[in-house]
Amino acid sequence: MKLISVGLWLLLLFAGSVSASSVDLHLTPSANNPEHPTMGDWMHFNSVIQNSGVTPIDGLVAWISLIEVTPGKEQPMDLEDWSAHKAVTGTQLPPGATLETDWPVRLIQNGDYRVVISATDRNAHTVFTSPTLQFHVTLKPVISSSRILPIALGIPLLLIMLLILQRFRGHSRTSH
Amino acid sequence: MSPVSLIMRKEHSALLQNQRGLAWLLAYTGILSAFALLLISNRELSLLDNAQVVYMMAGTVTAAGALIAVVMGADTYAGERERGTLVPLLTAPITPTQLLAGKAIGLASAWLAMYLLALPYLWAVGAGGQNLAQAIAYLALFGTPVVLGFGYLTMALSARSGSVLSALLTGLIVLLFAASPLLIGPGLRHSLIGKIIDSVNPFSGALNTYDAVIIDSEPLSAQLSRLLLVLVWLGLTYILARLASKQPAFQ
Repeated sequence: MKLISVGLWLLLLFAGSVSASSVDLHLTPSANNPEHPTMGDWMHFNSVIQNSGVTPIDGLVAWISLIEVTPGKEQPMDLEDWSAHKAVTGTQLPPGATLETDWPVRLIQNGDYRVVISATDRNAHTVFTSPTLQFHVTLKPVISSSRILPIALGIPLLLIMLLILQRFRGHSRTSH
Repeated sequence: MSPVSLIMRKEHSALLQNQRGLAWLLAYTGILSAFALLLISNRELSLLDNAQVVYMMAGTVTAAGALIAVVMGADTYAGERERGTLVPLLTAPITPTQLLAGKAIGLASAWLAMYLLALPYLWAVGAGGQNLAQAIAYLALFGTPVVLGFGYLTMALSARSGSVLSALLTGLIVLLFAASPLLIGPGLRHSLIGKIIDSVNPFSGALNTYDAVIIDSEPLSAQLSRLLLVLVWLGLTYILARLASKQPAFQ
């Protein structure tokens, strides 16, 4: 049992050292990001992926993930509205080469978020991840569909009813 | 009942108690509803500030109000002529000024109805944001002279030309030109020509005031020159309508 534990520990250590030595991932927020991000703002994150191994990396795939960490609302985010630039795919990276990528993100909802860049390649069985960056998005009063829908549909409907009523009255007058 | 009240009631009922008038109001609310629904169906637009959206809605209300004022104004004299009711009106014991006043009050009451219909829309897009009350007040203060001015201008054209189509087309061309700032953002109007047009265009005056008050929270004292511009527009167009109404083309 003890032997198995040591073996597993060595395997994990070995795997960790391989991943750490083959790809280095750095993630930094853009200097132009707003100091106090608010809903609707844009933020940019810059990632640098470096092949620190001795063999070329083929079919590199890097992608951005966003996780909400607002207390009580912890969840991975669907990036549908947040970002149109979700991944870099199929890139080849020779040893020592770097890939710099700008990740624009539109802040759609208020709350606390963490962003992380992950990368893997065609042959690796490991996913490499960057350090996470956390930011807070401040609430901004925006339009609410619950107020707009009743007004936008109700008022024209009211006028249509008035029109029908007038037509009905006109018909009843002419028939009398 | 005075002749002015009679004509005013006739014009008023043409809008609110008449199928055609109600259809115009339906078209007007259709424009506002389409704009409001666009705001919630488009992610980019739904993230706009409340104040920005209220500003856009105020501009849309002014433009749609001016459009209906142009249509109503074009119908005033030329419409009466085409229906064969202008000559009886001119031979009735009523002065041209009274006739114009009745039609002008009818137009004002139509604008009042459009203004009141716009209030729920402004509330729907602006509640919870900044300067909603100011938006409602400034829409009345600046929107009214602009809208009525377009109505008076087309009344003058209608009286002079005697043709609804001609007055309508000319009025629409002037309105399209004046309302172009709705499409061209303030940034693009910072050129010399843009500034010159802005300084004499009453529609720009109203729009720039909405922008300054609703978005930038500027006080009324900073808007006095624009208020003067829209009042001069109202005065000039009323004088034009009054001059033209003295000798309307009835043949």
